Amino acid sequence: MKPQEPIPHNYSISRLNLIFALSSLALVAVTGLVVGYDYIRGWKWFQLEFMRMQRERIVQEMQVAKSEENTKQLAALDEQERKNSLELARHRDQYMTAQKAFDALEGDHYRADQDYRFAKANLDAQRYITEASVVQHRADAAQQQAEYERQSAHLADLQVRLQEVTRQRDAAKANIDQWLKKIKDAEDKKKELTASVDLLSKQLTTVDMGRFSTNWILSQPMLDFVNPVIKIDQVVLNDLSIDMNYMNVPRVDRCQTCHRAIDTPGWESKAEAARLSQELQQKLDAYQIPQEKRAETEERIAQLKRIQDAPNDTLNPWRTHPKLDLYVGSASVHPLLEYGCTVCHRGQDRATEFGRAGHTPASPRMEHRWAERTPLTAGFFPLPSDFAQRHWGYEENEFIETPMYPRHYYEAGCIKCHSSQIAVDRGDDITKATQTVELYGCYACHKINNWRFSDLRKPGPDLGGIAEKTTPEWAFRWISEPHNFRSTTRMPSFFYQRNMIDPSVVPPQERTHNIKLQDAEIHAIVSYLFDKSTHRVWQQPGAGDAGRGKQIVNSVGCMGCHIDTEQVKDEKSGQIRLAKREDFPLERNYGFNLTGVGTKTNSAWIYNWVKNPKSYYAEAPMPSLRLTDQEASDVTAFLLTLQKPSFMKTAIRPPDRQAVHDLAKGYLINTLSDRDAESKLRSMSDHEQLVYLGQRSIEKYGCYSCHNIKGFEGLKPIGTELTVEGSKALHLFDFGFMNEEKWKNEDGVTEHVIHTVPSWVYNKLRNPRIYDDRRTKVYNDKLKMPNFHLTPEEARRIAMVVVGLTKEKVAENRMAGLDAHTRLIEEGRKRVSQHNCRACHVVDGRGRAIASTIADANFLPPDLSPEGARAQSPFLFNFLKDPTVMKIRPWLGVRMPTFHFDDHEANTLVTFFAEAGKGAQFDTTRGANPSPANVKIGQQVFTMLRCAQCHGTTPVNPENPPTPNTADSTSLAPNLTLARLRLRHDWISDWIRRPNEMIPGTRMPTNFPRDAATGGFQSPLALAIDTPQFAQYKSTLLPLFNGNEKELKRTMSDAVALTDYLRDYIWSIGITQMRSASPTGDAPAMAMPQQSLPPATAPAAKSTRNQRAIPAVSGGAGR
Amino acid sequence: MTMKKFVSVLFATTLLLSIACGKGKEASKEDEGEDDEQTTTTAAASTASGAPAAAAAPAAAVSADAATLTGLVKFEGAAPKMTNIQMSADPYCQSQHSSAPATEEDVVTGPAGELANVFVYIKDIKGNFPAPSTPVVIDQKGCQYHPHVNAVMVGQPLQIKNDDATLHNVHAMPVANSQFNEGQPVQGMVSTKHLDKPEVTPFKIKCDVHGWMKSYMAVMPHPFYSVSQTNGTFTISNLPPGQYTVVAWHEKYGQQEQQVTVGAKESKALNFTFKG
Repeated sequence: MKPQEPIPHNYSISRLNLIFALSSLALVAVTGLVVGYDYIRGWKWFQLEFMRMQRERIVQEMQVAKSEENTKQLAALDEQERKNSLELARHRDQYMTAQKAFDALEGDHYRADQDYRFAKANLDAQRYITEASVVQHRADAAQQQAEYERQSAHLADLQVRLQEVTRQRDAAKANIDQWLKKIKDAEDKKKELTASVDLLSKQLTTVDMGRFSTNWILSQPMLDFVNPVIKIDQVVLNDLSIDMNYMNVPRVDRCQTCHRAIDTPGWESKAEAARLSQELQQKLDAYQIPQEKRAETEERIAQLKRIQDAPNDTLNPWRTHPKLDLYVGSASVHPLLEYGCTVCHRGQDRATEFGRAGHTPASPRMEHRWAERTPLTAGFFPLPSDFAQRHWGYEENEFIETPMYPRHYYEAGCIKCHSSQIAVDRGDDITKATQTVELYGCYACHKINNWRFSDLRKPGPDLGGIAEKTTPEWAFRWISEPHNFRSTTRMPSFFYQRNMIDPSVVPPQERTHNIKLQDAEIHAIVSYLFDKSTHRVWQQPGAGDAGRGKQIVNSVGCMGCHIDTEQVKDEKSGQIRLAKREDFPLERNYGFNLTGVGTKTNSAWIYNWVKNPKSYYAEAPMPSLRLTDQEASDVTAFLLTLQKPSFMKTAIRPPDRQAVHDLAKGYLINTLSDRDAESKLRSMSDHEQLVYLGQRSIEKYGCYSCHNIKGFEGLKPIGTELTVEGSKALHLFDFGFMNEEKWKNEDGVTEHVIHTVPSWVYNKLRNPRIYDDRRTKVYNDKLKMPNFHLTPEEARRIAMVVVGLTKEKVAENRMAGLDAHTRLIEEGRKRVSQHNCRACHVVDGRGRAIASTIADANFLPPDLSPEGARAQSPFLFNFLKDPTVMKIRPWLGVRMPTFHFDDHEANTLVTFFAEAGKGAQFDTTRGANPSPANVKIGQQVFTMLRCAQCHGTTPVNPENPPTPNTADSTSLAPNLTLARLRLRHDWISDWIRRPNEMIPGTRMPTNFPRDAATGGFQSPLALAIDTPQFAQYKSTLLPLFNGNEKELKRTMSDAVALTDYLRDYIWSIGITQMRSASPTGDAPAMAMPQQSLPPATAPAAKSTRNQRAIPAVSGGAGR
Repeated sequence: MTMKKFVSVLFATTLLLSIACGKGKEASKEDEGEDDEQTTTTAAASTASGAPAAAAAPAAAVSADAATLTGLVKFEGAAPKMTNIQMSADPYCQSQHSSAPATEEDVVTGPAGELANVFVYIKDIKGNFPAPSTPVVIDQKGCQYHPHVNAVMVGQPLQIKNDDATLHNVHAMPVANSQFNEGQPVQGMVSTKHLDKPEVTPFKIKCDVHGWMKSYMAVMPHPFYSVSQTNGTFTISNLPPGQYTVVAWHEKYGQQEQQVTVGAKESKALNFTFKG
C-alpha cells in the first residue's frame, strides 16, 4: 500500500497552526480580561467591604457577649450539674430500678401497641370478608359474622390493655424525669446563657471570607456563577413601573446591592444615632410606646448608644436608612419589598455603578469629590482601591432621564403619590413646600395641572378699582420696587433687576437706556390701570378714635392674618432690622402687612373695606368681622395713622417720550408696516400712547395672571406650565453662561449654579434674571420673571415642588388618599388652607398663629382638633355660614368672622371635621332624652363637683348670652344650656373625663385623674361621699339608688358612670331652639358706593389725575 | 439548602483545581476618606460627648467641709404698693379675708425694702443628689397658695392640698415636665405629683377658677436652693466647697447671677438687689 499522499493545501498548515495558537491565546486572554473585569466590578467591593464591617462587629459583639456571659452564673450552673450527677450516683440503685422498670414498660408498650395495630388491620380485613359473604349470600356468612364479632371484642380488649400499659409507662417516665429534670434544667440554662455567642458564631460563618472558607471559594473568578455569595440584590416592583415611552416596564431596584444595610437597623451614622436615640427616649419617657414594645425600644436605644460610642462612624453606602420607621423598614408604611428606592429617590433603577445610577451631587464640592480619581485609573474604570479612597468615579451624565434628587430635595419624591393630600403625614418638608407655593401663588403664572394647585384664587387683589384705593404716584413707586414699601410683601419686583441694571453684567450705556425703557413701562402700566379703573365714591367714616381702633385691630382677630410691623429684632445680633416673611408664621403672611396702609390708601376706602371687603370685589379673601359703623370708623382712624411718608418722597422720573414711542412702535410693527405704525402713533395723544403701551406691558409681564385687570379676562397665564417640569430633560434648561458658576446674591453670599435641574430652578428662584448674565439680548427678549426676594429656604422649598412635579405615573393602588373618606377630608383641608383657618384655630394639630399676639391663652380662639367629635354637624353648618347664631364665649375679644360660605363650602368643611374627627356625619343620639332619675343624680354630682363655680346653667339667648358680671373674668366657662344644641351627646361625658388629653392645656380641670399604674380613672367622690361634708348629698342620693348604699358607693367611684350622669343633667337643661343661618350668611348693612362715575364721563377729573401721575412729559428726543 | 451548598462547593472545588487560578484580591481595609456629611456629623458628636466629661462630680453625701451661704435680697427704689385682691367673684374666698383683704403677692417687700419670694439657687452643680421622700406641700388656703414660691427636687413628691370649701383647679404649666390641670372640688383633697425632669426656672401654677391665684415652683436636680423670707433672708447650707454661680430669680424682676467661692466650713454672705 502506497503511503497516503499529503493532501495539498493552498495554505501553510504550520502558519495556520500559529494563527490558531495565537488567536486561542488572544481568546484566552480576552476571556481572562472579561472574567477579571467582572471580578473587580465596583459593587462587589462594596459588598466585600460590608462583610468585613459585619465581621468586625460580630467579633466585637462576641467579645462583649463572652464577657457578659456571666461567668459566675455559668460556674454556679456547672457546680449544680456536678452536684446533680453526684446525687444521681448516690441514688444510683433507685435510678437504675426506675430506668429498668421504664425500659420494661417501654417494651410492653411497644408490644401492646403492635398487637393493637395488627388486630385493627385484621378486623378491617374481616369486615370486608363479612360484608362480601353477606352480600353474596355465601354459606359461611354467619360464621364470618361471628368471627368478626370475636375480633371486634378482641380489639376492644387490646385497646384497654394498650391504655393501661401507656399509663404505666408514662408513670415510669415521670419517675425517671424527676431524676433527670434537674440535670436538664441546668443544661437548658447553660444553653440560654451561651445562646448569644452561639448565634453570633453562626452569623460569623455567613460573612466569613477567610482564605479557603466556603464563601471565599464560591467567590473566586469563574466559580462565582455557581452559587455566588457576592451577588446583585434587587427588588422587582410591578405596579411602580417605568414609562419607556411605548411600554411600561417593571421597576427593578438594585440599590441594595451596594446600600447593604439600608433596611437593617444598627448601621446608622453617629449623628443619626444620636438623633434617633434621643427621639426614642423622649417617646419612651412620654409613654407613647405601648407596654409590649418598651423592652424592644430600650434595646434599640442601647444599640444606638453603642453606635455613638463606637470608634468609627459608618459611612455611606453602608448606612441604615435614617427613617426606617417610615421608609424601607419592613414594619414601615413604605417597606422595601413593596416600594423599593427609586420610586421616591429617582435614579436609574437597574444601574449598579455609581455614576450610572444617577447619583446627583448637592454642591460643587460634593461633585468634585465624587469625580476625584487616582491618576492610575484616570479615564479607565475605577479599581477597588479607588473606592477605598472614596473616589466614586462620578461623571455627569446628561442621558440619565431620572437623576436622583440631591440632598435637601428628597421629599420632592413624595409628590408623585401624595399629590392629592394637602398635608403629607410626617412629610413636614413637602407639606411646607406646597404651602409656600400656594402662598406665593406660583400656580397663577405657571399652570400646574394638579389637584393641589387647581381651583385656587388669583393671589393678587383685583385692580378694577385701583383709582378708588390709591393714587398713581403711589402705584408708580409700588410697581418700581414693592419691597421699598413693605419688606414682607409677596408682590415681586419686576423692574430694575439684575439683567437690566446690574453694573457687573450690563454695560453702562445699555443700562441708562434700560432705565428709560423701564420707567416708560411703569408709567404706561399705571396709566392703563387708572384709565380702566372704576371710580365709585365710597361712604366716608364717622369720627373715629385711633386708640380704640388700635385696640380693636389687636383684639378682634386681624392679627391672625396680618402683620403690623416691618421692624423686628434680629435674634442673633439683637439689632432691629427689616422684617422678612419668615420672621412670622406662614398664616400671618396671608393678609398684607398693615405698615403704611395710611400712605397707600384713603379713609373712605379703608372704612368700606373693613366693613365689608366683598363690596370692593367679590372674591376678596378677607372675611367680614361684622364691625359696627363706630368700630369701623375707629379702625379706619387707626389704620390711617400707619404712615410711611418716606416712601412717597422717592423721586419719580417722568416718562421719556422717545422710550414710550420706541416701545409702543415695537409692538405696533408686529402687525403694521413701519410707516403705518408711525402714523398711528402720531395720531395718538401722549396719554393714549401710554395707555396703549400699558396694555402691551401688562401682557408682557403677565400682571393679569395674579390680578384681575379689565381687558385681560380669560387670558392664559404667562409662565411655563410646570405640571411635568420635574421630568424635563436637563439639556432643555437654559443655563446661559452660568453653568458651574458662582454669583453673589443680594445678601453678599456666594451661591453656586451646578449643572442639575434642582440647582437651575433654585437659582432661578433666588435671582430670576441670572441666566441673562453676559448675554446679548434685545430689551423685550430679556428674562421677565420677577424677583420674589425669596430666602434660600423658601427657594429650596419651591424648587423641591417644581422638581417633584413629574410625568411619572404610579398604579392607582399606590396613590395616597384616593379613598372616599380621605378625599372628603382633603377637600376640607384645602378649604381650611384657602381660608387660612389656621390663623386662629388649631386644625390637624397645627396653627393658631394669632396666639403670639394675644397675651392670655384663655382668650384664644378654640382648638379645633376634636371639632369633628365635638360639634354636631347641623350646628357647625349654621355656625360656619353665620357665626352670629350662637355666641359660645361672649367675653372673647376675638371674633369668628363671617366668610359668606355657600352651602357647598360649608358642607365641605362640616364633612371634613366630621370625617377627620372620626365622628359620624350626623349624630344619632341628638334627640336623646335622659331619664328623670339620671338627671337628678347628675344634678347632685354637678353640685358636688362644684361645676357651677364656672359654668352657668340658666337658659340664655344663644345669639346674645349675657357676659357674666363677675369681677374675675378669667373664671368664665361656656353656659351649659347651649351644650345640647352644639355638642355631641357622647362627647360631653368623654370630655368631662379627659379634657386635658383632648385639648392639652385647656382650662377645664381634670376631675377624674388617671391612676398612674392602671391608667383607669379615679373619682374624687369615691371617698368624699362618706365625709360629713357630703352627708347631705348622700342622703339625697340614696333614695335614687333605692337605698342601696353599696351601689351608690360603687357609682361614686365609677368615673364613667358619673360623667354619664353629668351628661344627662347637662342635656336636660339644654335649650333646643336656635336661629338658622340666613341663606346669604350674615351680611350687615353693606356700605355700597353711592354713585359711580365712569371714567369716560369725567375727562377733566381724569386729566388732573394723570397730570399728577405723570409730571409733564419731558421734552425728550421726540419733540 | 446545605445540600445545595455542599454540591456547589464540590463543583467549585473541582473547577478550581482544573483552573488553578490563585487570583485573590483582598478588599482594602484602609479607613475611608471623609464624606461630605461626615465632617458635620463627627463635629456634632464630639461636642455632644465633650460636655459631661468636664464635670467633676462632688460627693453626694454631706461632707464635713460643707459651707453655708446666707444672704439678703433687697429691693431698691420705691416698692410697688401691694394691691388688694378683688375676691368678690367667689363669696367663700371673700369670707376668708373678712377682717383684712388679701393683697397681691407678686412683689412682697419688708419695711426696709427686703424682698421676699426670691428663688435663690446654685447653677450647674454636678453630682448625684438623692431626692428626699418627704413631700413638699403647697396649701390652698383662703384662695391663695402657701407658699407663693417653692421648689421640689426631681422625683420628690409634691402634694397640693385644698383647704378651702370651694373649687380650686391646680393648673401647672411647666415647660420640661408634663403639664397637669386637676380639679379639687372637695375640701381637704390632696393631689400628689412627681416631677421627673429638672426645671430650674420656676414655672407657674395657677387656678383658673380664681384668676388671682398664682404660685411658682422649680424642679431642682440638687438640694442647694432657698427662697427669701419676708425679711429678705435666704440660706443655702451643706454646700460643698467650690466656686459657684448663684442665681436669684424673681417672678416680676427676672433673674440675676453672682459668682461666689466658698471654702471648707465657711459661712459666706451674698446679697442681691433688685431694681423696680
